[in-house]
Amino acid sequence: MRLLRQIFPLLALTGLFALLVACAQMKAIPGLPASHPEALAIGQQADCSECHDNQQKGTLKPIVNFSHSTAFHLKNHRFYALSDDRLCAVCHKRSFCADCHTNSTEIKPSTKSGYRPDLEMQHRGNFMTLHKIEGKLDPVSCYRCHGRGNSERCIACHR
Amino acid sequence: MNFQKLHPPERLELRMKHLILRFITVSILMMFTSVLSSAAQLSLDSTTIVRMEQRDIGTEKQNLIPATQFLGIDVRNLPDNNLSLHLYGWGRADLADNSYNDKKADGSLTYAYLHYRFRNPDAGIRAGRLFVREGIINEQIDGISARAALPLGFGVSAFGGANVHTPNLYGESSDGKGDTIYGGRLNYNLKGLFELGVSGLYESRAPALVNYTNGNHRLVGADIWFAPYKVLDLMGNSIYNTETKSFAGHSYLLNIRPVTRLLLSSEFSEYKEKSFLYSWAMFSGAGLNPDERSRITGVRGSYGVTKDLDLSADYKHYSRLSGTADRAGIKLKLSFLDNSVRSGVSYHYLEAEEGFAITGNSSASYHELRSYLMFDGKNYFGAIDLLGLFFKEKIYNQDSALEATLSLGYHLSPELSISGDVTFGKNPQFSDEVKGLVRINYNAILDNKGGKK
Repeated sequence: MRLLRQIFPLLALTGLFALLVACAQMKAIPGLPASHPEALAIGQQADCSECHDNQQKGTLKPIVNFSHSTAFHLKNHRFYALSDDRLCAVCHKRSFCADCHTNSTEIKPSTKSGYRPDLEMQHRGNFMTLHKIEGKLDPVSCYRCHGRGNSERCIACHR
Repeated sequence: MNFQKLHPPERLELRMKHLILRFITVSILMMFTSVLSSAAQLSLDSTTIVRMEQRDIGTEKQNLIPATQFLGIDVRNLPDNNLSLHLYGWGRADLADNSYNDKKADGSLTYAYLHYRFRNPDAGIRAGRLFVREGIINEQIDGISARAALPLGFGVSAFGGANVHTPNLYGESSDGKGDTIYGGRLNYNLKGLFELGVSGLYESRAPALVNYTNGNHRLVGADIWFAPYKVLDLMGNSIYNTETKSFAGHSYLLNIRPVTRLLLSSEFSEYKEKSFLYSWAMFSGAGLNPDERSRITGVRGSYGVTKDLDLSADYKHYSRLSGTADRAGIKLKLSFLDNSVRSGVSYHYLEAEEGFAITGNSSASYHELRSYLMFDGKNYFGAIDLLGLFFKEKIYNQDSALEATLSLGYHLSPELSISGDVTFGKNPQFSDEVKGLVRINYNAILDNKGGKK
């Protein structure tokens, strides 16, 4: 620990220098486009590989990996979003995430989008009964979406 | 509110919030002035929902008619084409009895921020109320977030600000969160072969609580994206809790695409619950058994037989100190008439060890059967959604939970639609449940942004 304290100023200076050098060269790095150049059909299963076979500049990730298969959808999308949600934002508006990820809401996503059962929104049906089972099976899954938000409904029982 | 009576961190947070609020208000006014006078592109997403429900609670009868308005606004191409504004929130008013809490009207601002994108170099800065999702970070803040791509494949991002608080815990004067939070991520990407990231967050001291066991929210972690071949990629993260001095969790996903349209996924997650939920005061995360861990292993296969027919199967094994469970299922999705008719049917079975994952019953095992059919035409749209849960052992003397939702709607114009849902249910909570709602959607997309849904 003492060694770390002693070399910290040196590391900080080196880091600052590296950052300055990096900033000087940043102009050459291309970014992601603000939005997909063509409007995509609503409700269509997005298959990026139909048009893209390359790595997306800006993220440098193989774009074929982002094709929205059934497996990609609800269950696994967090892995992609936490890795780099800028690529999601090229096609999806921010409000698309906010259908579920709100920190505070009173309407279940499945009720809000009841006319779109194909979206397979969470907590469909009588989830009040089911959450007693699912919460004990995988307690972390609640936290992953709801974070530390205290819903008044939760507090009513979880005292 | 007496400003002087507040503690220094609360004063700092209040000052920060006031500053941000003023900043956002002025910015919004400037934006709208700019929108009216320039080529800025405005996009509106509005959903109005009026729900109707009647409840019998003992001898009391409740009539619930909450009207909820969701509103999202995106303004792009502001003055120099690099600045944009993004707003989303909701408000609710009860037209009859109280529907959710003791407030007749309530609401929440989900996000409201300005985003400035540097076109070249690849960098951006956001300010206002926003979500930060990067690496192991998933937070909602009132503050600033910035990121930049650096040369040689490196990238850096940082954020800081005040936590967005939620309602106070029962019998407490806070929600258990600290007031300020900051963090960041440093990553390295080798041209699509792999990306490695290290990230961390530090929250100010968690408030002391009377009825709950609470802990500070301070985490560091690493994330990986590894795609050595087009047909294979591995991604996930590991989190370390600096307060408990223990790993909080590991979560990884492996994808393999042996042939076109076939995706095989394998997932592994393991969490030390005390470390992962340490700062979640509502469940007294800091007081959990340090030996308790949950582990999930699973596989999933998804095959697109044709563009309109998709088959998938999945299996998961759940393991905790208190028991184990397995879930397996299949799903079929089919669409016709150029995707205007979509349908799906799925079956899953959860087999839980006796006494595991339920209180008051010996078995939590249940079958889940779901099917839906929807039509989205030029003028009319509609959907039928059926869901049945069949419990191996009765819950509250009911052996099943059934729900059927019928939805019908009409496109008044390409932007404006009106729809209504009726839901019939029978479940362990309600012997008979009938709910209805009327929904008005207005999505004015005045730019070329891709589909919202």
